[in-house]
Amino acid sequence: MHKVWAVIRREFVERVRTKWFWVSAILGPVLFAGIIVYQIVQSMGGAVRDVAVVDNTSDKLGKQVVEALEASGSFRATLVPVGPGVINSLVIDSLSNLVESKRLNGFLIIRDDLVQTGRAEYQASNLGMQTIETLQRTLGKLVVKVRLEQKGVNPGVVDWAQIRVALDQKKISHGKAVSDSATQSFFTAYLMAILLFMAILLYGVNVMSSVLEEKTTRIIEVLVSSIRPFQLMLGKILGAGAVSFFQFVIWGVSARVLLSLRGPIARALGADPAQIQTMSLPHIPGATLAVFIAFFLGGFLLYSAMFAAVGAMSSNEQEARQAQQPVTYLLMISYLSILGLTNDPSSTFARTLSLVPFTTPIATPVRWTAGSMPMWELVTSLVILAVAIIGVTWIAARIYRVGILMTGKRPTMKELVRWVRTA
Amino acid sequence: MSEPVIVDRVTKRFAGHTAVDALSLSVPSGLIYGLLGPNGAGKTTTLRMIMDIYEPDSGTVRLFGQVGGGRMHSARIGYLPEERGLYPRMRVLDVLVFLAEAKGVSRRAARVKALEWLQRLGLADWHMRKVSDLSKGMQQKVQFISTILHDPDLVILDEPFSGLDPVNSQVLRDTVVDYRRRGKTVLFSTHIMEHAEKLCDRLCIIARGRKLIDGTLAEVKSTHGGKHVIVAFDGNQGKAQQIFADRRLVAKMQDFGQQAELELAPGADAQEILKALVDSGARLARFELASPSLHKIFVDLVGPEAATAAATGAGNGGSRA
Repeated sequence: MHKVWAVIRREFVERVRTKWFWVSAILGPVLFAGIIVYQIVQSMGGAVRDVAVVDNTSDKLGKQVVEALEASGSFRATLVPVGPGVINSLVIDSLSNLVESKRLNGFLIIRDDLVQTGRAEYQASNLGMQTIETLQRTLGKLVVKVRLEQKGVNPGVVDWAQIRVALDQKKISHGKAVSDSATQSFFTAYLMAILLFMAILLYGVNVMSSVLEEKTTRIIEVLVSSIRPFQLMLGKILGAGAVSFFQFVIWGVSARVLLSLRGPIARALGADPAQIQTMSLPHIPGATLAVFIAFFLGGFLLYSAMFAAVGAMSSNEQEARQAQQPVTYLLMISYLSILGLTNDPSSTFARTLSLVPFTTPIATPVRWTAGSMPMWELVTSLVILAVAIIGVTWIAARIYRVGILMTGKRPTMKELVRWVRTA
Repeated sequence: MSEPVIVDRVTKRFAGHTAVDALSLSVPSGLIYGLLGPNGAGKTTTLRMIMDIYEPDSGTVRLFGQVGGGRMHSARIGYLPEERGLYPRMRVLDVLVFLAEAKGVSRRAARVKALEWLQRLGLADWHMRKVSDLSKGMQQKVQFISTILHDPDLVILDEPFSGLDPVNSQVLRDTVVDYRRRGKTVLFSTHIMEHAEKLCDRLCIIARGRKLIDGTLAEVKSTHGGKHVIVAFDGNQGKAQQIFADRRLVAKMQDFGQQAELELAPGADAQEILKALVDSGARLARFELASPSLHKIFVDLVGPEAATAAATGAGNGGSRA
């Protein structure tokens, strides 16, 4: 056991010492910080904007528009009465100059057809989604009001009749309704699938190149004369697994820290911290996290055993790149199915994928997160995965044992079968 | 333990050919034992079977009295493979500590020992450097340290001198001799007879996977009898070539240019040759009655062997003339 431990430690320490480990360790939090800042800036997009309202209507609708915009709380509006008819291009030019010199965010031009056909024009240096939406909603409400009044409806009734419906979304998960939205669980499931795919592929390939290094430097001979090949393979896989786990821990902890720092970051950017705190975040319950970790570890063990065998049967980088393709394709199947899985997590397709050992490491966590998956199905997938790990590791260890001492031509399928039989 | 290594009729076949064919040998404790043979004779395969890297198809390997290969005893055996290699991106000290740990040495003990050896072989300043920063000779030294770091009772070296410069060669030889002095056993393979002749207490010559001869150096030389004369010239060789070609006097000759090793024909007298040479006007730097050199024995045994090919069944010691 001491020897396996030595192999694990070497694998871990040497990987963690590389530049690439730290680059990706830092890249994760940087990306996350970027998302937070982006969200804050987005929410600041809802801050008060200076606009001019060019009133070109015959019945002086401009005043009401200005009032409505001011009432929405998102705009500071100035009325520019131009009178009916053709708009003076001089006015447009001078307003454009104001926008250009940043003294104005934009200007709205309303004509008589606002009420008649529901058209208006907005020119601005920056057409933010939120701004446009607020403008449309405010103008829409006003037009409805004016049109109803023209038909003789009491303005008080009109005001009373206008109401916004807020849809409170809840997801039924394992018999309980949890506060969650469809986009959120979709997002979480999608993110998880990509993380799983990347981590399994990246660290599986790490195991492969590490096996290959020992083979090409011929140090393998010394190792095999003191460590059993299976111990060596096991140590390698566990070592690389520990590295990826460490990577995840770094990302997780830094994400947590960044989240708790959202308030100060928002203040530093001049946004309202109270508003930031209500920002929606994917909520990941403990059970989901446990499923994620279990299937990540399972998937990693399954695939890295295969990658170890691939490394052992190749004698240089090019050969390994070719030989790894079948394994990568196997992993790609589940990656390409993510959309299908998230759209309908209980379809026969999704169920099948979570029962096939090579796709279950990604399919099952996605199904679990995206929608309800019965407990017994989850347990079944786990059992299937565990059995597959034992079987695949057994075969891989036999290929590994023979392969690591072979040089020269890559083995054919027939030879591989013989290795497994006789090793 | 009187015989740390006993190889009993082991055979190893690879697709198409037999690398080692029913080979038996035993290495007594406290000696330097040479496994000699031309390239492709099966030396490396034999050592790999002893080290548990290959499993014999038949026959057994016993180490320290127990059936089974080197892995069981890795703490007591140091092994230097023919194809050298270290982790190029690791630090020198880390590599040494890891390889010692693989043999079951504790981390702390390995560290102390590694630093000690690096100091002894003049690499103390390099212990934090990457292996790839070292010169080839330095890497060889590091590899050698990794072989003996755990102070094994048995050291197995596969072609230890190949690729070494004279200085490092000497360092290695000194260490090997020192090892024997401390009562340890050394088994090494080589195809360079000069090394074997200087170092070996016992030896075994193999070719085509079979043993041709084994025994102590003296035994091998005496059973491989024949009277030998070494002649060296100082310029003028007179009619030497004619005299050497006389089959009544010389049975066989190895010509090294300014020096030749002669095997006398049965019944021939060395004095006759000396007289003939002097009469022919040759200027002699050396005329010495000698036992045959290992090199000569080796070529005699292996040369025709290689020539007659496997088809004839590799007639054992074809030229014991």
